[in-house]
Amino acid sequence: MSRGTGAGYDRHITIFSPEGRLYQVEYAFKAVKASGITSIGVRGKDSVCVVTQKKVPDKLLDQTSVTHLFPITKYLGLLATGMTADARSLVQQARNEAAEFRFKWGYEMPVDVFAKWIADKSQVYTQHAYMRPLGIVAMILGIDEEKGPQLFKCDPAGHFFGHKATSAGLKEQEAINFLEKKMKNDPAFSYEETVQTAISALQSVLQEDFKATEIEVGVVRKEDPVFRVLSTEEIDEHLTAISERD
Amino acid sequence: MGDSQYSFSLTTFSPSGKLVQIEHALMAVGSGQTSLGIKAANGVVIATEKKLPSILVDETSVQKIQLMTTNIGVVYSGMGPDSRVLVRKSRKQAQQYYRLYKEPIPVTQLVRETAAVMQEFTQSGGVRPFGVSLLVAGYDDNGPQLFQVDPSGSYFSWKASAMGKNVSNAKTFLEKRYTDDMELDDAVHTAILTLKEGYFL
Repeated sequence: MSRGTGAGYDRHITIFSPEGRLYQVEYAFKAVKASGITSIGVRGKDSVCVVTQKKVPDKLLDQTSVTHLFPITKYLGLLATGMTADARSLVQQARNEAAEFRFKWGYEMPVDVFAKWIADKSQVYTQHAYMRPLGIVAMILGIDEEKGPQLFKCDPAGHFFGHKATSAGLKEQEAINFLEKKMKNDPAFSYEETVQTAISALQSVLQEDFKATEIEVGVVRKEDPVFRVLSTEEIDEHLTAISERD
Repeated sequence: MGDSQYSFSLTTFSPSGKLVQIEHALMAVGSGQTSLGIKAANGVVIATEKKLPSILVDETSVQKIQLMTTNIGVVYSGMGPDSRVLVRKSRKQAQQYYRLYKEPIPVTQLVRETAAVMQEFTQSGGVRPFGVSLLVAGYDDNGPQLFQVDPSGSYFSWKASAMGKNVSNAKTFLEKRYTDDMELDDAVHTAILTLKEGYFL
């Protein structure tokens, strides 16, 4: 059985390796890390916050066009960590899907249904040879009418879970260790605490203090369930609050 | 389906007559979390480990045991995303059956159709087999039933079965404990004991 595959294409397309693994999917995870960005999401009692690094590699670039944070509908946000081009492709399809859902069924697409749709799409790419898996991990945030604030993470393998807090990208494991300690006793964070936990987690894990222009922050709050990207001034307020607190 | 460039099967015979992609799929199943099922005299129980990767995961958002119809449930071992595809297709098939015959689908029929889907993916162009084995538990006019469906698309009816990690220990344990006249409560108890057996290994 040792030379079973014959063609040895198990590293090139999503077919099984002899140990039962999908190398292409594992390589897709590596592509997410290769982007060099880390993202963090935290769910509080009545709000959800996601934070990501904003690396503008060239001073000549228009900073406003560099983003990983995308509104899908007025109420759903998506943070894509990994390959920007794959992210934009997914966002385009996701916006279409969410709008069709609203049109067909007459109510807004719930967060978990949306996350499942993304995960199911990713699963198709792991099973059909003609399309490679996308090199992104998607974090979805929104307020569910019945369940309250929701944060989901979908990966290239097609897994998706709801999270109290999570991370993706280069320093994913360090961030998760940090967040596990913070969330150990199931705290119920207020809006300010949620945002500050997310930002300070990123600062701690990357071991640098950010300027407001170096990070992107997106939030949804129960009292105002619209997905919003925070402005530089608002981010500055939070950064100041964090540094005063410490 | 898919690009015409891939209109050839990726699962082909090896010189020794094996379909190696299916064998590899079974390896993927064998490294998945343990799940098992037991058929009792008055019902069927299926159970599985639900070990989540971190305490940060919201465990209410994860449901490994799912309904295909109101009286047929399923659990999987192996790749979660693949199982979602099968559950979705099976639910649709069950509803199509009901629409046609105005009767809930018998367990054997649903298992047959699910297995047919799994077989399709071992032969169609440009796709790989499913990396899951399913345990389908149902109760219909023929009483309680338990079926296991493998990535190849073959299925068998079982009195008790286990899949995933630690399957040989689990099956030995089940063989010792199983009796034909078990009640459902005993079966649930045995199922939990079997899962606990594997926990420390």
